[in-house]
Amino acid sequence: MKLVILGKGGQGVLFFSKILAQMALSEGKSVKATEIKGMAKKGGVVEVQMKIDEGLSPLIKRGEADLVILLSPDLEEYGKTFGQKILKFSEEEIKKAFEKVPQRLVNTYLLGVLLARHKIFDKKTALKVLDEENKKSFLKGFEDAEKNVQSQDGDFT
Amino acid sequence: MLKRLYLSGNEAIAYGLIEGGVRFLTGYPGTPSSEILPTAQKLKLRYGFKGFIDWAVNEKVALEMAFSASLCGVKSAVTMKQVGLNVAMDPFLNAAYVGPKAGFVVVVADDPGPHSSQTEQDSRLAAYLAKVPVLDPSTVEEAYLFAKKALELSSEFEIPLMLRTTTRISHGKSDIAVPEEFPQEEFNPSFKENLKNWNIELQRLAATPKLRHLLHKRLNEKLDALAERNKPRFFYQGDILILTSGIVFSYLVELIEEHQLENKVTLAKFDMPFPVKYQKFSEFKRVITLEETSPLLELFFDTEGRRNGLVPKEGELTPEVCEKIFSKLGLIPEKKSIAIPPLKRPSLCPGCGHRIGLFALKKVFGKKAIYCGDIGCYTLALNFGVTDTVFCMGASLSFATAIKKLFDEKEKEREVIGIIGDSTFLHSGITPLIDAYHYKVPFLLIILDNETVGMTGNQKTPAHKVSYEGKPLNPVKIERILEGLGLDFVKVVDPYDYKETLQVLKEAKEYLKISDKPCAVIMRHPCVYTREGLLNNPKRPVQILEEKCTGCKFCLSEFECPALYFDESSEKVCIDKTLCIDCGCCQFVCPKKAILEVKA
Repeated sequence: MKLVILGKGGQGVLFFSKILAQMALSEGKSVKATEIKGMAKKGGVVEVQMKIDEGLSPLIKRGEADLVILLSPDLEEYGKTFGQKILKFSEEEIKKAFEKVPQRLVNTYLLGVLLARHKIFDKKTALKVLDEENKKSFLKGFEDAEKNVQSQDGDFT
Repeated sequence: MLKRLYLSGNEAIAYGLIEGGVRFLTGYPGTPSSEILPTAQKLKLRYGFKGFIDWAVNEKVALEMAFSASLCGVKSAVTMKQVGLNVAMDPFLNAAYVGPKAGFVVVVADDPGPHSSQTEQDSRLAAYLAKVPVLDPSTVEEAYLFAKKALELSSEFEIPLMLRTTTRISHGKSDIAVPEEFPQEEFNPSFKENLKNWNIELQRLAATPKLRHLLHKRLNEKLDALAERNKPRFFYQGDILILTSGIVFSYLVELIEEHQLENKVTLAKFDMPFPVKYQKFSEFKRVITLEETSPLLELFFDTEGRRNGLVPKEGELTPEVCEKIFSKLGLIPEKKSIAIPPLKRPSLCPGCGHRIGLFALKKVFGKKAIYCGDIGCYTLALNFGVTDTVFCMGASLSFATAIKKLFDEKEKEREVIGIIGDSTFLHSGITPLIDAYHYKVPFLLIILDNETVGMTGNQKTPAHKVSYEGKPLNPVKIERILEGLGLDFVKVVDPYDYKETLQVLKEAKEYLKISDKPCAVIMRHPCVYTREGLLNNPKRPVQILEEKCTGCKFCLSEFECPALYFDESSEKVCIDKTLCIDCGCCQFVCPKKAILEVKA
């Protein structure tokens, strides 16, 4: 599986990639990843490319990612150069995340949304690698999104 | 017993070096090499072994220190980025002649692309020039294994080893197996213990030119022995042979398997691209070399590659580029390339003290002054017109000295300013300043002192008082260096105090008119990218008065804070509260006085 995670500094790109890698490793799968974060804080883009259970190098050829996870909506055009399947969080979802959990747990809430909408990992795997606090936040996101997925049948392009 | 860890290439190198017995590790930060040394420090804190692991003032000093540790029988290593090796070339070449006593590894991180460097030079060629064997890992796991291998070979042959990594390896991550138990290493520095044979030792440690010839001969013998042993590893069976080393090997394996070319292409992987022994490969239809970023194996084995235009002469050999080369070879159909939209350019962090300090500088000296910039975060002052040159570490002050001298000779009035960060100043800014003082060159020296090496991830500088182990250090005071040299205008300001900063800069401007010496203004404000810097930063929240903002965009173009943006619907500037850290500096910028501090 080839994943690309894109966002700006401070949006949790590295957090997302770390948890995704931990999930893969806990399932006994290999992980190859590359982080470009040189000037993240300086308004630059943070980009993680990750290959799970395949390949020798971390790089993903343009157009060949299985899923592009966008944490910053204005990177969509750039994200599409990696692959057509884009996952982004709606403004509503992000608003909800901030309402439901404290700020430091927003990312795990969104991780829950991600796994509900796109089953790249089993829910159980996520619960295995997260601590108690993050688990709760993850489950909230997962359950909220699941309701949504059932009613809208997903909204990623 | 082994355990699996998820490590970056740089972390993996640190594990390899420390496990391999390195007990003296130093270097100078530089992307993409900076994370090796801090990882080794963490290992030292965790396992509590004896030795020295910390930054040096520059790469030349670092290499000399590490090499001399090896002469004391302590395994040592030094880390730097590729342009850092240029700074350390003198001791690097010499180390090969003299030869280390305990294992000695020079870790150099190249940056094909380049992603964050001045050049995309290939350090394997520097190794060739220095006659130093070089290992070139193709994966994160190999980076770890080769770090240990380099130490073994260095110890066995008494020759320095280069471990050449690249951005994709250094910043790549992978799960790798490391031993559960921490390997012990004897720590027993010794020097001049055996006085009886000391004269023989001196022939090596302090060799005169006559003896250098002999050392050179010995070095060549070591290289021949290593080359004899150095065989490529072959993969697949096709009649096109591709010689390769480094990460390009990994891309090629993936492409060959993706396109099922196992019967069309043979790969010859060189773990050690120098020294090699010539062989002909005449059983193959075509022989090609794919390597980053200059021809090395291609020259040795006289193959196709960059010289016949098959491989681009510049840029990273990404998987896409390798795929294109496969199309050119007729192995796969041509693919349409995907155009990549440009991304927003980086700028100084919101609240960075450099921004307001440099804005004040521009305000006092105007656009006509010559701003010689340097390497660091503040290179980004280019974006808002306070940097005219960016060259290499320390060059701001050599440039300012020479440019000002030229105008003086012509008796032409020109204000020249050298802008340099605290760490860069200590790295290589002091030496040009000695000439500036000696030759009576009155330029303005601006030292942007954020008390850290900002651009590369906040490593410590010699100004720090406590080491990572909590031991006291002697903090180096930049103002004392300047005063000691003989400068009599040395002022320190906090650029957040805008009025005071303007005042000091005006005084400096007047001083320069009558002086025949450089004068210095140190703008000192802690980096807000550090936790402490951010926590202790003054809070001066501001608001933009909508009725006063005319939408002139002066603040955006002349100050360029990422937290300020232009709202297209209202045609006014707004504050992005998710980015703003309430530094309040923008209140001094607006020509319409539309940005006001919110009083509590």
